[in-house]
Amino acid sequence: MAELRQIAIYGKGGIGKSTTTQNLTAGLVEHGKKVMVVGCDPKADSTRLLLGGLAQKTVLDTIRDEGEDITLDRILKEGYGGTRCVESGGPEPGVGCAGRGIITSINMLESLGAYTDDLDYVFYDVLGDVVCGGFAMPIREGKAKEIYIVASGEMMALYAANNIAKGIQRYAKTGGVRLGGIICNSRNVDHELDLLRAFAKELGTQLIHFVPRNNIVQRAEINKKTVIEYMPESSQADEYRQLAKAIIDNENFVIPTPMSSERLEEILLEYGLMENADDYRI
Amino acid sequence: MSDIQQPTQVNKRKWTAISDPRYACAVGATNTVVAIKGAVPIANCSPGCQLKTTAMLTFENGFQGSIKAGGGNMPSANATENDIVFGGIKTLDNLIKSAIKIYEGDLFVVLTGCTGELIGDNVPDLVSRYQKAGYPIVYANTAGFKGNNLFGHEEVVNAIIDQYVGDYDGPKKQGLVNLWFETPYYNQNWRGDYQELARILRGAGLEVNVLFGPENNGVKDWKRIPKAQFNLVVSPWVGVRNAEHLEKKYGQPFLHIPEIPIGEEATSKFIRQVVEFAGIKNDKAEKFIKQEAEIYYYYLEHFSEFFAEYWYGMPSEFAIVADASYTLAYSKFLADQIGLIPKRVIITDNTPDRFRPAITEYFKNNISEGVSIDVEFIEDGYQAEKRIDEVDFKAGKPLILGTSWELTLANKKEALFFEISTPSSETLIVNRSHIGYKGALTFLERIYNASVGGK
Repeated sequence: MAELRQIAIYGKGGIGKSTTTQNLTAGLVEHGKKVMVVGCDPKADSTRLLLGGLAQKTVLDTIRDEGEDITLDRILKEGYGGTRCVESGGPEPGVGCAGRGIITSINMLESLGAYTDDLDYVFYDVLGDVVCGGFAMPIREGKAKEIYIVASGEMMALYAANNIAKGIQRYAKTGGVRLGGIICNSRNVDHELDLLRAFAKELGTQLIHFVPRNNIVQRAEINKKTVIEYMPESSQADEYRQLAKAIIDNENFVIPTPMSSERLEEILLEYGLMENADDYRI
Repeated sequence: MSDIQQPTQVNKRKWTAISDPRYACAVGATNTVVAIKGAVPIANCSPGCQLKTTAMLTFENGFQGSIKAGGGNMPSANATENDIVFGGIKTLDNLIKSAIKIYEGDLFVVLTGCTGELIGDNVPDLVSRYQKAGYPIVYANTAGFKGNNLFGHEEVVNAIIDQYVGDYDGPKKQGLVNLWFETPYYNQNWRGDYQELARILRGAGLEVNVLFGPENNGVKDWKRIPKAQFNLVVSPWVGVRNAEHLEKKYGQPFLHIPEIPIGEEATSKFIRQVVEFAGIKNDKAEKFIKQEAEIYYYYLEHFSEFFAEYWYGMPSEFAIVADASYTLAYSKFLADQIGLIPKRVIITDNTPDRFRPAITEYFKNNISEGVSIDVEFIEDGYQAEKRIDEVDFKAGKPLILGTSWELTLANKKEALFFEISTPSSETLIVNRSHIGYKGALTFLERIYNASVGGK
């Protein structure tokens, strides 16, 4: 049996991490892979497409309501194609420490025996930036060894991706965590493909797949389904299948080389993002 | 007012780690609350924080003991992981309810430690709800990462002034003085010292508002803080922040005397300084000084026979390592009155930068005629001990005044050893004072007891 691959997905808030992760998971399921998705976001919406809605009580809500003496089936639900879905959840907005909550949740999953031998992949879908130690939990202590960063050609998405690469670099020095590539979730900005390729190259990694923008994704989301489930014959479903294949076959794992803000600005300029700056003048 | 200098160039090393600690964290200011009769501290922190600060400040510090809501009886949130993940407000709310139910407290003080402060628990909001409901309760931000127990002490005092004592614009009472002095429990002789200093100030003709310890009358003394004519701070730095706050809040002037007086000379000088500041008649003070001096020298004359004859095994040099207030006061007395030579002086209480130049200057030029020493500010016990170890004591047995951490070093140096600061695990303190007129004689006893073989 192949070794369990634990993968963390990072990226700027709103970039489409959860959507990408779940569609990718559906692609892996078609390859016969056994996947667990762990949502590491207090909003707890990382498994909605796989479960057909927000059907999941989070680990932290369960601990809060029922104490720590709980069984695995209280927090782990089976979703599309036999995927296992967990939402770590978080405290109420503005209270407590969500970062520590993720640590608590993952420890709880481990102690309850969620990491079974038949699993091929575990995905950690982590909110936004690596804001503090808690949100770096999946890449600390040798849990997730592979990271993919979801980005687009938008400037702030690349800034965030570069920052995340800094976090990965920090933990790569002491643990075995490596960057597996950049996933572009396209926003249809100018020269996006070239820009992302150049950006990935600068980080010392690859653009593992370019997911084009397609309204089918939104329609599938409204229907609480992944694209592969909602419209399996669509070209967008094929894109996610290709992404899944690329990740299965990926052997390109690196310690990223994050760039200075100046260098990032240079790359952005080079690919014309800023050449039309005057258009924005009021 | 105060003659505090503004910060100048100070050699301050930032300690990233310390061994052999000589203070507790800010939550240790729970003991400041315990020192007010009828007040109840509520420790909003993890169980280890409450236990360690209490052990450091009360138990392993002369086994001072505690009363009512102190020591092991102290209400503590005993925060655990759940309180961090979900926030600790509910736990604290339950704890406050229980504390109010169990203790007949005149004042409750919530001290929040690192965990609550890190995750941003809204303690002010919770406590203000109790305040609005009429409960005498205040909160203080005493996260350990903000400072040590001396910082915490000042935070608690200001919190009580702002949230409990409140506004006042009535008349001031001439001759009434608020005494801001040693830090309760941390300064191990605080109870006896407060009594002796209060006795001295009363002898000088003042009415003393004693805010901590055996002569404190509970919260009603705190309520009369704004009525006092002035504030008296007797400490190199602790309490100055409070006096500055009171000056702003109530328009009260303050007199800052860095040196705790020990012995007749220093104490009589101290009285005259306070009387002059207060602007009261000095006839009562002078009469008191005369009486006290007579008794003091009566005893000292008897002691002088021993001092003159018992020439073997007496110390002539000393090293001292403690907080700023005891270090300064004891060094002054030993150098100026007994004629011992300071060979190493180390202050371990993380004295704020703005006070360091004045303290440094004091040891350089004001300790005693012909005596000058560079005081060192070191928080790390390893470094402090190393610096004392490096001293080449030349004349006979040296005297080392410090903490239990120095015991091994004192043995190595074949020194006479005397615990004056926390941790003190070889000393039991019930009621002891080393200051003023009476305490100075006890201090002499203690030092020379060591010379004749006792402890």
